[in-house]
This record gives sequence, C-alpha cells and structure tokens, in this order.
Amino acid sequence: MSRHTLRRSLIRFLAAVVFGFATSHSDAQVAPSWKDVRIPALHAFKPQQPKRIELPNGMVLMLQEDHELPIIDGFARIRGGSREEPAEKIGLVDIFGDAWRTGGTKTKTGDELDDFLEARAAKVETGAMLDSTNVSFSCLKADFEDVFAIFNDVLKNPEFRQEKIDLAKDNNGAEIARRNDNASGIAGREANKLGYGEQNPYARVAEFATIAAIKRQDLIDWHNTHVHPNNILLGIVGDFDSTALEAKLRAAFESWPKGPAAVSSKVDPQPAKPGYYLVEKKDVNQSNINMVELGTKRSNPDYYAITVFNEAFGGGFSSRLFSNIRSKKGLAYGVGGGVGASFDHDGLVHLSMGTKSSTTVEAIQALYEEVDALKTNPLSADEIRRAKDSILNSFIFNFDSPAKVLRERMAYEFYGYPSDYLERYRTGIEKVTPADVARAATKYVRKDQFAVLVVGNTAEFDKPLASMGAVTNVDITIPGAPADAQSEEQEKPAATSNPEGKALAAKVAEAMGGLDKLKSIHAMKMTISLTEKAPQGDVKTPLESTLVCPDTMHAEVQTPGGKLTIVVSPDAGFVVTPDGQVHDFPSAQKTDTVLQVKRDLVCMAQHADDPAYSFTAAGTEKVGSLDARIVDVAGPGVTIRWYVDPASGRILRETYQAMGQSGPFEGATNLSNWKTDNGITLPTTHANQQNGKDSSVAEFTAVKFNPTVDPKLFQKPVAEPKPAQ
Amino acid sequence: MRVSVQDSRRYCQMAILGSLFAFASFSAAQDVSAFEKHVTVKKLANGLTVVICERPEAPVFSFFTHVDTGSTQEDIGQSGLAHMFEHMAFKGTDKIGTKNYPAEKLALAKVEQTYAAYNLERRKRVGRDEEKLKALLKAWDDAMAEANKHTVLNEFGQIIENNGGEGLNAFTNSDETGYNYSFPSNRVELWAYLESERFLHPVLREFYKERNVVMEERRMRTDSAPIGRLIEQFGSAAFVAHPYHRPVVGWMSDLQSFSATDAKRFYDKYYVPANMTVAIAGDVKAAEVLPVIEKYFGRLPAKPKPEELSTVEPPQMAERRVVLHDPSQPFFIEGYHRPDYRDKDDAVYDAIGDLMSNGRTSRLYRGLVRDKKIAAQTAGFGNYPGQKYPNLFVFYAVPLPGHTNKEMESAIHVEIERIKNEDVSSDELKMLKTRAKAGLLRSLGENEGLAQALGTTQARYGDWHELFRQVDRIDKLTAADIRRVANKTFLPTNRTVGVIETEGSSKSAASQGTE
Repeated sequence: MSRHTLRRSLIRFLAAVVFGFATSHSDAQVAPSWKDVRIPALHAFKPQQPKRIELPNGMVLMLQEDHELPIIDGFARIRGGSREEPAEKIGLVDIFGDAWRTGGTKTKTGDELDDFLEARAAKVETGAMLDSTNVSFSCLKADFEDVFAIFNDVLKNPEFRQEKIDLAKDNNGAEIARRNDNASGIAGREANKLGYGEQNPYARVAEFATIAAIKRQDLIDWHNTHVHPNNILLGIVGDFDSTALEAKLRAAFESWPKGPAAVSSKVDPQPAKPGYYLVEKKDVNQSNINMVELGTKRSNPDYYAITVFNEAFGGGFSSRLFSNIRSKKGLAYGVGGGVGASFDHDGLVHLSMGTKSSTTVEAIQALYEEVDALKTNPLSADEIRRAKDSILNSFIFNFDSPAKVLRERMAYEFYGYPSDYLERYRTGIEKVTPADVARAATKYVRKDQFAVLVVGNTAEFDKPLASMGAVTNVDITIPGAPADAQSEEQEKPAATSNPEGKALAAKVAEAMGGLDKLKSIHAMKMTISLTEKAPQGDVKTPLESTLVCPDTMHAEVQTPGGKLTIVVSPDAGFVVTPDGQVHDFPSAQKTDTVLQVKRDLVCMAQHADDPAYSFTAAGTEKVGSLDARIVDVAGPGVTIRWYVDPASGRILRETYQAMGQSGPFEGATNLSNWKTDNGITLPTTHANQQNGKDSSVAEFTAVKFNPTVDPKLFQKPVAEPKPAQ
Repeated sequence: MRVSVQDSRRYCQMAILGSLFAFASFSAAQDVSAFEKHVTVKKLANGLTVVICERPEAPVFSFFTHVDTGSTQEDIGQSGLAHMFEHMAFKGTDKIGTKNYPAEKLALAKVEQTYAAYNLERRKRVGRDEEKLKALLKAWDDAMAEANKHTVLNEFGQIIENNGGEGLNAFTNSDETGYNYSFPSNRVELWAYLESERFLHPVLREFYKERNVVMEERRMRTDSAPIGRLIEQFGSAAFVAHPYHRPVVGWMSDLQSFSATDAKRFYDKYYVPANMTVAIAGDVKAAEVLPVIEKYFGRLPAKPKPEELSTVEPPQMAERRVVLHDPSQPFFIEGYHRPDYRDKDDAVYDAIGDLMSNGRTSRLYRGLVRDKKIAAQTAGFGNYPGQKYPNLFVFYAVPLPGHTNKEMESAIHVEIERIKNEDVSSDELKMLKTRAKAGLLRSLGENEGLAQALGTTQARYGDWHELFRQVDRIDKLTAADIRRVANKTFLPTNRTVGVIETEGSSKSAASQGTE
C-alpha cells in the first residue's frame, strides 16, 4: 500500500537472509528458546511535535492535534507554587488550587460551573504543585466553545467565594488530623523532612495553625501576583485544527497585559544529621525503613549515569534491591530506591522498604550490604548493559501518544530545557559506561551520609535500633489537634455518667448558689478586664459581654483602634471591625465561639441534674496544693473537664479543646477569687492557658444576671459597600 | 519516508475516528458496527479465547491475559493461593530462570518433600516433637538452599524489561487474575513466546521466599493499615457462606501453611485454556498476529473448564455491624447485598453509583461535603469485593475532624432515602447517561485500557460487544428503574456496617509519637 509497508517487508526479507537458518523455524514452528525469537527492527516512527506559539505578552501555547477521538484536553501551567508560600501560611497554595475552581468566577458560582460541566461530561479543574499552579480542561469536541469559555473565565476572573475556601480548609484539616494514621504516610513525610530539613519548602507540611492563618485576600493576592500571561504555558491536545485554534487563542489571550514575572526564591536544603531516626507506631507489624540524603538535579551531566545506576540498582525486577532483598531474602514486598534528580532542584537519594517488625535491623543491614557491594562488587558490564537495554528499548513509551509528546515538551519548556532534550537524553544514556556508573554510585550514594528513618513497633524489633547507633526520636505529634469524634460520642450520658460524678456536679451547683438559683439564670452581662500575654508585653483590653445560654453571645471589645463587636448565635457569627466592616467568622471559629458560650460555668452548672448531660468522675489530680477530683462533663455538642475541690465544691480549673486565631489548642483556665453577688458565687479571676502556656487573664469586675437583652444586638448590620477595586 | 508513515497513520486514525465520532451523538449499538472492524475474536482449538484490537497509533502494543479464577476458587485452608500463584507466574519456566533444569527439578521435588514433612509435624496439635521439628526445618532449609543454586533470579521479568517491556504487572481479585505489560511492536513474537511459556511450563521456584514476600504484602496492606484492617473485618462479616468472605491476600495462618504443591494443583485445575482469554491492542494486524498466537498459545493442552462454585450467599436477615476500636481517625463504610453483573439491573446499579458519587454534582458530595460539611470524602459504588457473584453495593465516608460515624451514617441514609422516594431529575438522568458514553469513549484511546476492557468483557460475557451494550442499557434506564432498584436493595436488614472508632483520647490518636 505505502512505501512504509514496503520498507517493512524489505526489513523482514533482509532479516531472514541475515539470520538464515536460525530463523527459518518462525513461520512453521515455535522458537525453542526466547533467544531464538526473531526481533525485527522497530519501524521508523517520528512522533508529531506540537506547534509552539509565543504571544507578544509572553504567554506560550503548544498545540498538538490528535484526531483519534473527538476529545480536546488542555493544561495551563502557571509559574509559582507552594515552595514560594510564606512559612506561616503553609497550605496557602494548596487551598488556592482548590478554591480557584470551586469558588467560581465573578459571574458564576463554582456549583453552577459544576452543573454546567458535568451535564456535558466535561471538566475544568485547578490545582497546585510545588513550583506551579494549573487550570486544566477536558471535553468532547462538540462542547469545546462552552468549556473553553469557562476555562478562560476561571483563569482570569476567579471569585474565591469564602464558603469554598472554608470547605478547602476543612478538608486540609481532615488531612492533617489523619496524617499519622498510616505508617507509609508518616514515613514518606518524615523522610522528606530529614532529607531537606523540617522547615524546607520541599518538605514542610501544613498545620492547623498555618491553615487557620490563610485568608481569602491571600488567595486573591496570589492570583494577582502570579496569573499573568508571561507566567503561563498552555498546552492543548485533541481533535482540532491548529490554525483555527491558534486564531481563537490569540483572540482570547493576546490583549491580556503582561504582569510582573513570578519570582522563585532560592531554597537551601538543611538535611538532618546522618544517623538513626525513629517513629514509634504500636499498631503495626511491619517496619517502614527509609534512607535519605540529598541528591541532584537533572541538568547535572551525571544524570545519564545516575539513570542507568537507578535502573540497575533499585529499578525493576532485575535490579539488585528487588532481586536480593525481595526475591532472594524474602524480606520485603516493597523495596527500591535510587538517586533522585528533579528538573530544577536537588532530589533526594532515597532507599526504602517495608519488612516485618522482627526483621527490622536485619533489613537495615541487608540494605547496607547492597550499598557496600557497590564498591566491593560493582555493577557489572552485563548489569549495565541490561539496564541500558531496558531504558532504550522502552524509550518509545516516552512518546507513543500525541498527549505524551506534548507533556514532555511542556516540561522542557517550563524548566528551560532544550526542546530536543528527549533525543539528547537517549544519546546520553547510550554513552554511559560502567566506569561512569561506578563513579556516580560512589559520588551520590554515601552510606555515612544517610539519615535512616524507621517507623515501626519497637517492641517487636529483632534488635533495638540503638544497637546500630545513636537514635533520635522523631516527634510527630500534631500541634493543636482538635477534639476527635470520640469526644462527641461521649455526649451519650447513660454511657458515661457515674454516681460520684453526679454527686460532684450537685456539689458544684450547690457551691455556686444552688441549682434552682442557677436555673433561673438565662442571660448575663459581664464587664471584664482582659490582660493578654504578648511578646511585646501585656496588653490590657476592656470588654463587655452579653451571654445568653446556651449558644448566643454579643461582645464589645475596646481595642486601641476602636470598638470591635463579636457576635455569635446559631444563625450567625461575625465581627464588626472599628471601620464598620462586617466579617463572617470561618465556620470552625464560629463553632468554637458557640462552644465557649456552652462551656460557660453557669450555662454548664445549671444542667447538673439534666439527663442530657453526663458527669463522670475520673480520678484525682493536684491543682496548686489541693487534690482536685476530675469530672468529665459532656452535654449536647460540648465537652469540658472540671477539676473540682471536693471540700468546697469549687471548680479550680477547667480544660477543653478550643480554636484560636492560629488554630486549635488545648485550653485550660484556672479559676480563683470567688465572690458572691445576688446569691450567686462565681470566680472573678480566669487565668487562661493555651497548650500549657499562659495566654491571658480575665478579671470580672461586674456581672449582671438576666439583664434586658435587645435582640438587635445579635443581628448582622448591613455592611458598608466595599470601595471599588 | 516520513510522509508515508504519517499518511498511513492518519488513514488508520480516520477509520477509528469516523466510528467514534458518530458515537458521541448516536447510540452505542450503531457505533459498535464501526468499531468492530478493528476487533477480531477467535477461540483456539484448545479453548483459549483471543481478542485482537488493531490500533496502529504508534509502534507499540499492550496485552492482557485474563484468567477466570480468583480467590473465590480457593479451598478451605488455602486462602491466598490464587494471589500466590500470580506471584509465581513471574518466576520463569523450565528454560528461563534456571542454570540446569533437570537438576533443579529434582531439588525442587526435595523441597516439597521436606516441607511436607516439616509442615505435618508443625501442625500437630498434640504430641509435637520440637527436636524433630528443628531437624525437619533444617532439612527443608537445606533443600531450598540446594534448589536455589540452580536458579537465575528474576530472569523472566528481566527479559521483558530488557526488551523494553513497560508496565509489567499482574493482579488478583476475588473473581479474576490478570497479567499485563506493553512492548514495542517488533516484539510481538517474543511476547507470544514468553506469555505462552509462562503458562505452559511454569516452574514454582523460590516459592517459600515469595510466600514471605506475600506475607509482607499482607502486613503492609492489611495488618498495618487501619482501613485495611477494617475492610477485612467488614468483608468477612458481610458474607457468611460465599467465599467472598475471605481476603484475597489470604489469612496469615493459611499463608504459613500452603505449599508449592498446592499452588501447582490450583494452577493445573484453573489455568486451562478454556478458562483464559488473551487480548492484545495496538500496532498489530490480526492477519499477522493471529497465526503467531495460534502457534504459541495453541500448545497449551486442552482441559475441561473447571466446575462453577455452588455456594450461594443466603439472604441476610439482620443488620451486621463491625466496630473497630483503633488508634486512628474515624471511618465509616456500609454495604448492601446486590445481584451479580449478569443481572438485568446491573446497569441501574452503575447509574446509582454514578449519581451518588461522581464528582462535585454527586448526591453524596453535595449532601455530606458541601452542605452538611461533615465529611472530607464520600462515595457509593457497585461491586465489592467482586462482581461475578452476588456482591455488595458499598457506601463510605471519611468524617471531618470533630464529626462522628453516626453523622456519616444518618447523612448517607438521607441520600439513600431520597433516591428511594423521589425520582431523580431528568437533568441528572441525562448527565449520567452522557457521562457513561463519554467515559467509554475516553477509555478507547489507550492500548493498555483497551486490552484490559476487551479481554475482561469477552471473558465475562463471552462477547466484548457488551462493553458498548452496557452503555446502551444505561441510556435506556428510567428514573423509575433507579427508585425500584434502590427500594429493593437499600434495606436495613440487608446491611453490613463497618466503622473505625478512635481508641483513646484525641491526643493518643493524633500523636503516635515518641514515648
């Protein structure tokens, strides 16, 4: 049919002649050995390259036609990623990547976009990575006009609606809370920190506090700073005509003005000291072992030798690690590793394996043996040849679809590598010699530089890890973890109340003036002088708070900048700043402020005989010089621990989970200076602690019971219009 | 030269494009007629089914070997054996992986004898002789060391990799076992050789080392992972009679007991051509590749297809509940018994899964994540742990911090009651039908997925066309179908619930740190 077919038959004919008798079996009988199977030359295949267009404003487009299916996919990559976010707002770019799409555009909510796109089996999504953010789309050809319009709108006009930011933050919180559930998750995260340094942008992780610090304005700012045409690389692949699409894209993007170039700050790694690191995890029977040190970049001329080394040492089925540690010794299911090389920063040398607890030290030694063997029994010429064969014979899979070719080209473009990098790579691999590999192995895999991390159940280890060397325990406590679901389970009073707890609760109510008196209180107005501990010294703030049990509060705070009003109720939660602006509380903080009301001494104690509340005595602990009885109190949606003086019935101390401006914390309040007013005895000094540190002292100067409460206090004022942007 | 290559490629693309473009707007049935020009099916004389899909986009191909056997076929005491054999299918043949097969064969026979003797003594409940056991253990160890002298480690995988094999892998589930990789298209005959020899002359060398590897796999996926632990307990509770109640990876005590002899017996019974389908997709021509496949795979001896399972899971009469108290965050899952994939309502279950779970418009996402703000993730889907036999429709949710499994349960039930009591909107119905069509379309643009989909569908239904017909069935279903199926399936007595409740305080759960 074509010359191409003719060429193939020619090759076959020639092959038959060359191999002569040896291959004559192939038409009639099976090959006696795999070595006898005829392998004709792979027919020429020159993959189609995308069309590259650079607009005058610096935006780069890559168009790759692929007419196999009536589908069009696109991916815009924008310079600047999470490695550039501020340390006190880790998670910012992640949340940006979520809320960029879910928060909708100026004219359409994210939910409206969902409805429109899903009805067409189409997607427009946004995301975030270490070095970039992205907007992508995928649609049937017939829907391209509509879907492209949404893509363009999302790219340029996001609205970042607060509710979707809150949703993204909640999801981040869930990830944080769950991050120590699985050993492999712990191992990956902590190994990365050992390799780069705990606070290094390539290793650090979000915390409740850094997530809580992220504001909508931060996302808007990120978009304003980064999403400019000169920072964008857009690749499109699918069933379109390049010329027509180019015209369309020029019309959409050419008039978009250039902005400042994204700035990438230089990151210096601070690897941990070599040695042993341990995370104890008692609910596993397998140890996760990781050895790390700093690797290199792909631009390093050693990269080709490193690639061959990785294949031979820790790559596939025939690699040394797989063969010796898995197949020969049966020590692991997962084992592998090599020298990491990223496009624009140092990767990590990373060896890892999982082995049963009782072979932990044996497995570490087995890995060491493999590293040592690189010197005593270097990778042979045959091992190198096989590794090179594996890389070169599978080379076609780097470009066996138009989409893959586009993906490769976009990566080279993004990181400033030459567009023919793939060809250079092939040539580079072909030239690698066993001596190159031996040199690379010695240079990059240095046993004495490894930080060795073990996540496992030490009680079951074959030998203590300390028998290998000094061990540093890694603390993986999640700072400020909020109360877990278990505490809400404790709401069920029948399950948890005990007689002593009930008796103590009755005594507490008695000491405050009696249950009947307490029950008659439905609201209080308190005048408070609050002294907050701050790095620059104590800050004194007067405030007045009106509290309606169980869930409504109005507080006026006199700040140096003017009056601040805080309101929470079941329907609302907002702050009115001195300039009259109204800001909604994030959902987590609103919930927590309602909890503050619920936790109030009076609001709690008036339920001392309420079956919906449970009171459980749970041991004794010293508060100051007194032996206090611990009482765990749980009511609908609220829990608190009281430390009760059994002699006086006074509560000396309260502990609880709470949410502060920088995330969740373990709260504690010491109560003292009890005074009686109108037959009610209350502490007038509340000394607060957050995570064990003194945070503030509240002095109650006046309390008025059942004041006249104006319902308007809790209504949201109409915000003054924001100045035009 | 370059022009002609491009031209021939384009020609082939246009042929497939023509058919699929029609598909976007017309029914799948019309489209199948165009697609099937690229597909050839042949049953060889020995009973092996071959499916070939010509897709000459680039000089590569992928294959998928489907074996109609999974963990459901294992005998009592041998759980994990199907998966174990899958691991052994990488250990080579009488010509690959050995230095001297006759000597190795004798040595492997000795390994089996010594292991049988050791295992017999080890398993004695009364009167076990510890001294004798030690001696038997040593004899077994020595026999293994002797056999290993003849072994070339991992040569089978090595040949594939050195020849450019990509994505070399295999899987076992409750129903089926699958093997796959991709090769440059000049290695079709090498593939036919390797893949046929793999099942013609398998040698179960290094069996007991690999058994240790599988135990590590179990420790990783099940024992040391909270959700892994829960799912195993959940599955065992949901099925009392049917073998779906046991884990694919096997119980640890079974892994510590079964032998290479057991694995060979399993292989002899289930790895027969009548029980296998080989699918290949990519730069191949049926006229050229079929004779090669016939030549190599035709050598597998014909044997009868193994008999079907007779055990049927009896109707569930009361809710079952598994509560795992674990030092990890809460997790909720529940499952309802449903019929197997051949049921006339199978497509309706697919539609319910899509409606409940697919994307941000799904019922569960909107209910639990967006509106109630109580879950980080949630979904409901069709076939757990398999689909060949009556199985479970499963819902799960991952609570946000501070929210309980109880809240997940009641919020999921709210969404279930909605599909039972209210018709889905015509917009939703249209959406899920469009998505079913588009999903099929997208799956056709890639060799690996095509080989797997065609091979699996051909094996399950005896006809790959069902791949398209399933979409047709979804296209025809109505809002009433969804209500009817939801009402007959999602009943409290038909339910098994599994939850992880955090053990201890939040502090102990969140900080697995140092002590």
